[in-house]
Amino acid sequence: MPDQTMPDNTPGSWAALVREHLRPLNLPAIEQEEVIAELAAHLEDIYEQQLEKGMSESEARKNATNEVVQWRPLARNIQRAKLKEGIMNPRTKQLWLPSLVSLATSMLSLMFLTLLAVQPRLLYAHRAVTMLYLPWLAALPLCGAAGACLSRRAGGNRLTCLAASLFPAATLLACFAFILLDSLFGTGHAATLSAFLVFAWSWVFIPGTALLLGALPFLRPRERASRPLVS
Amino acid sequence: MTKRIRSKIARGSAEVAILALLAEKPLYGFEISKRIEEKTDGMLCFTLASLYPMLYDLEKRGWIAGRWQANQAGRDRRVYSLTPSGKKELAPLRREWNFFFQALDRLAGVTNA
Repeated sequence: MPDQTMPDNTPGSWAALVREHLRPLNLPAIEQEEVIAELAAHLEDIYEQQLEKGMSESEARKNATNEVVQWRPLARNIQRAKLKEGIMNPRTKQLWLPSLVSLATSMLSLMFLTLLAVQPRLLYAHRAVTMLYLPWLAALPLCGAAGACLSRRAGGNRLTCLAASLFPAATLLACFAFILLDSLFGTGHAATLSAFLVFAWSWVFIPGTALLLGALPFLRPRERASRPLVS
Repeated sequence: MTKRIRSKIARGSAEVAILALLAEKPLYGFEISKRIEEKTDGMLCFTLASLYPMLYDLEKRGWIAGRWQANQAGRDRRVYSLTPSGKKELAPLRREWNFFFQALDRLAGVTNA
């Protein structure tokens, strides 16, 4: 005599069983229905496999139902696996957070040196001036290395590591470009293209090179065999 | 600690088994578990509870992709296939497991045991 708690093989009966047991599952409705349909299909396949092996319907039903002993841990594991992302998505971990670290450390070091009244050195050559903030430039490879290192540890590729390390220079370039555009088309102070180039050289290109120097050790290709066995 | 290492090894081996199977052809969950059981003469078994969380996790990582398709009996099943990213991951994973077994063999002579 068939057990009343076990599903028959009518369409939807396996789904009803799964739905009832996976009640703690907390996923968006569509996703939840998809999981239920998939697990129900699996149970249905087990049931039919058992029948093909010559088992009686009740035995087959029992074996299929016994496939999952503990539904609660299953629901928890599915939920954990299905959750789209943790607190941070890969792009945040690989690019934005390391970029922010690189930017914050470089700006803090500049601020610290300014507070210590360290003056930049001005070099004149061929009617052009280069402003060298030597102590800051000396600190920048560490900032670039920090950004690239964090990005690499988070699984970022070489381009992402490079972008994270050069982010402070890119930010300064964007600021200078904004000032230039404002002066050309807006009501801001009159800044000339030559001034922009001088600033870009002193505050973007040279610091960018220093940042890049720090990032270089982290831009080498990955040793695939050194990856952990389980990610 | 030991339990954690064991579970990591089990999980890692299960992942490579699934990816390797899907590299041959797209399969749905029941077929995956059946094939693993057949190919290993029943030494490795995947229950529903162990298989699906892993499939969903691999899917989340972008290594496999699932889509609903009718099987030979005309029933809708979610068929998984290896993505280009999964293909890229499989080769180094295979190498790592090969290194792991070689190292274990040197250490413990497991193949001659």
